[in-house]
Amino acid sequence: MNLHQAIVDFTTWFILVYFILLNGGYLLLNLLSIASLRRKGQERILEDLPQVYSGLEPPISLLVPAYNEEATIAASVRSMLQLAYSELEIIVINDGSKDGTLEVLKKEFDLHPFPEAYRIQLETKPVNGIFRSTRYPNLRVIDKVNGGKADSLNAGINASRYPLFCGVDADSILQRDSLQRVVKPFLNDATVVATGGTVRVANGCEVSGGFLTRVGLPDNIWALFQVVEYLRAFLFGRLGWSTVNGMLIISGAFGLFRKEVVIEAGGYRPKTIGEDMELVVRMHRLLRARRQPYRIEFVPDPVCWTEAPEDRQTLRNQRIRWQRGLSESLSANWGLVFSRNGGAPGWAAFPFMLLFEWLGPLVELGGYIFMAVAFAFGWISWQAFAVFLFVAIGLGILLSASGLLLEEMSFHIYPEPRHLAMLALIVLLENFGYRQINSWWRLVGLYRWATEGEASWGAMTRKGNWQRKV
Amino acid sequence: MGALALTLLLGAQIVHLRMALRRHERLEKAVIAKWRPLLTAALAEAPPDTLPPLPPRERLPFLRLWLHLHLSVRGEASTALNEVAYRLGCDGIARELLRNGNRSERLLGVLVTGHLRDSSAWGDLMQLASAPDSATSLQALWALVQADADKAMREMLPTLLRREDWALPQVANILQDAQDICARYLSEALMQLEAGHLVRALHLAEALRVTLPAAQLATLLRSGNTELAIAALRLVQDPVLLDDVRQRLVHPEWRVRVHASKALGRIGDRSDIARLQDMLGDAQWWVRYRAAQALLNLPFVQAGDVEALAAATTDRFAADMLRHALSERDAG
Repeated sequence: MNLHQAIVDFTTWFILVYFILLNGGYLLLNLLSIASLRRKGQERILEDLPQVYSGLEPPISLLVPAYNEEATIAASVRSMLQLAYSELEIIVINDGSKDGTLEVLKKEFDLHPFPEAYRIQLETKPVNGIFRSTRYPNLRVIDKVNGGKADSLNAGINASRYPLFCGVDADSILQRDSLQRVVKPFLNDATVVATGGTVRVANGCEVSGGFLTRVGLPDNIWALFQVVEYLRAFLFGRLGWSTVNGMLIISGAFGLFRKEVVIEAGGYRPKTIGEDMELVVRMHRLLRARRQPYRIEFVPDPVCWTEAPEDRQTLRNQRIRWQRGLSESLSANWGLVFSRNGGAPGWAAFPFMLLFEWLGPLVELGGYIFMAVAFAFGWISWQAFAVFLFVAIGLGILLSASGLLLEEMSFHIYPEPRHLAMLALIVLLENFGYRQINSWWRLVGLYRWATEGEASWGAMTRKGNWQRKV
Repeated sequence: MGALALTLLLGAQIVHLRMALRRHERLEKAVIAKWRPLLTAALAEAPPDTLPPLPPRERLPFLRLWLHLHLSVRGEASTALNEVAYRLGCDGIARELLRNGNRSERLLGVLVTGHLRDSSAWGDLMQLASAPDSATSLQALWALVQADADKAMREMLPTLLRREDWALPQVANILQDAQDICARYLSEALMQLEAGHLVRALHLAEALRVTLPAAQLATLLRSGNTELAIAALRLVQDPVLLDDVRQRLVHPEWRVRVHASKALGRIGDRSDIARLQDMLGDAQWWVRYRAAQALLNLPFVQAGDVEALAAATTDRFAADMLRHALSERDAG
């Protein structure tokens, strides 16, 4: 065997084994999720029971960072004020918005300066002032110098009164009972330090008064791809890892944290893009190092809806940001993987993320290019190429289909048969082009992380077609 | 080919699930159409003399409908629903579910038995209440309390204080209707409990608004255990305990000082104004905050007094906190 053939054989095997491990890993997570969802399904009857408050539920501070959100902030806050929970305060953090965010808030909620004895537990950019609503005593607004989302959340933590805080994106659409759902693990287990819920794509749905009133599918193809992606990511990505206490990310759109633990961990890391993931990985690292028993749990219930990008450019920018965020989170917490007490997050979830999410785009795109070239030049047999297509595309379809199966097993969010048919079609289509282009964007993200400096609040083009004014 | 076959299999499973769901929904609709008018009539007036038989395939959807209606009624209406259920043999069906049902059927059986207040299922419920499954066991506790609150408390108190997987707010909700019985048993058992269970018992007493004897609270406050002291301070309502509370104002653990300050806000006298004023200089923000609130809570302290205090104090942190608490109170 000559050297050229040896390199081709080695590369071919490397690519095939990589794709098999990648898809095999996800299938394993899928099985864990099925078991978890099945158990949850058996308890569905309890969800009809009336919710009675005993006064022992931990009060929650809802932190809403806002940057240039004048168009939507009032409606968002109004819907948050209607959330069903026994004791709740809402803290909007205006992060030096250049538009009229603060003025809108002042006008809509009758804000007045409040002489707050502000407590600095986490260093942040200076706070210009704190306001309190005269109409809603549980609503306060912090006006501060621009410092990014992480810095805003830290300022919110400083001003918060309650032992649990929930970071929420200003444009998130929450289920009315979302807090009741995500707080449950905290009630059942004193070692729980954070919980996250499923985020779904709001495009194509109807929203009224800040709440989702009708579920639908978007017409836009980019948004449709993301519906399937979100099913995969949340229903077996996060839920699967959560079953072994290895979940490394809680979406910034909606996550509930034990404040004391977050402060001990140093709060959100300013000047990062993936501040949500970085915090969770750091919490794992520190709590593992301390050998402190803890749980970070995922609640599969759909608790939050978000608008997905509908144009290629915005989606591309989002994915580049996400990949940079992932890179920052992993590179800042290498210690977790080398910890003597790494457990599932350090020894399974972190290496998995590293190999298949962080380096994934490099190997995946490289694999496609290499196999296509090798087949074209006759370096590999058609059988080898067919096996590659099977593991890269066939298993990809299988994984997406299993995401849909989990959804059908559990929540049946999409009620009409035509929804199901459309999603089945997307499951097939997304493997022919969308996933590959996604890998390319992620590769760009990886490159930018390696070559560029810090990033700031990501600009996102939102259409809000689903939003009906009331 | 393998992936294709598996994907097709998954597709078939998805279609099968959706069809099963539709079948299930159709059956539920039929059961609702048949039984809802009968049950509603039973709620409005006396249950009809004759009831149609309950075929096996309608049993589970009927029980779910019956439960659903039960959740929105009380008193006589609840009794009427129970009468219908007993006449249809639902007590027997529920007991069968407790013994031989799958997990979701067992849960349904527990809920039905609880609403029926069926003490003949006591043994089955006790067994389920001791099971490691948190959701089922907790609902079994509820059903036991519904059947016989006194007996349930007598037999289950050690278990409910021991089982950390039973969320305390949920336990408190279950015992809401049996507050007096709970108070008696908690008070009797309190001093024999080990520290870990004792804290849980005190939190439960707080949630149920149980007033514990001052002597017991005094013993707990003097125990030297921080968590016990905090839990006891939260329950203090009697000025007899003033000296014990005041002594906790200088406790090295700031959380104890927080709750001592709060307790003074409830039971303090005029001499405590100076003590709370001192607490405004505490190094911990929460102690200063609660002390300021406590000062405002004292019935003989007016807003003007606090404003004067804020103006007179030389400690900037104390003055800030007093203004903060005042503004908070003014804003409601």
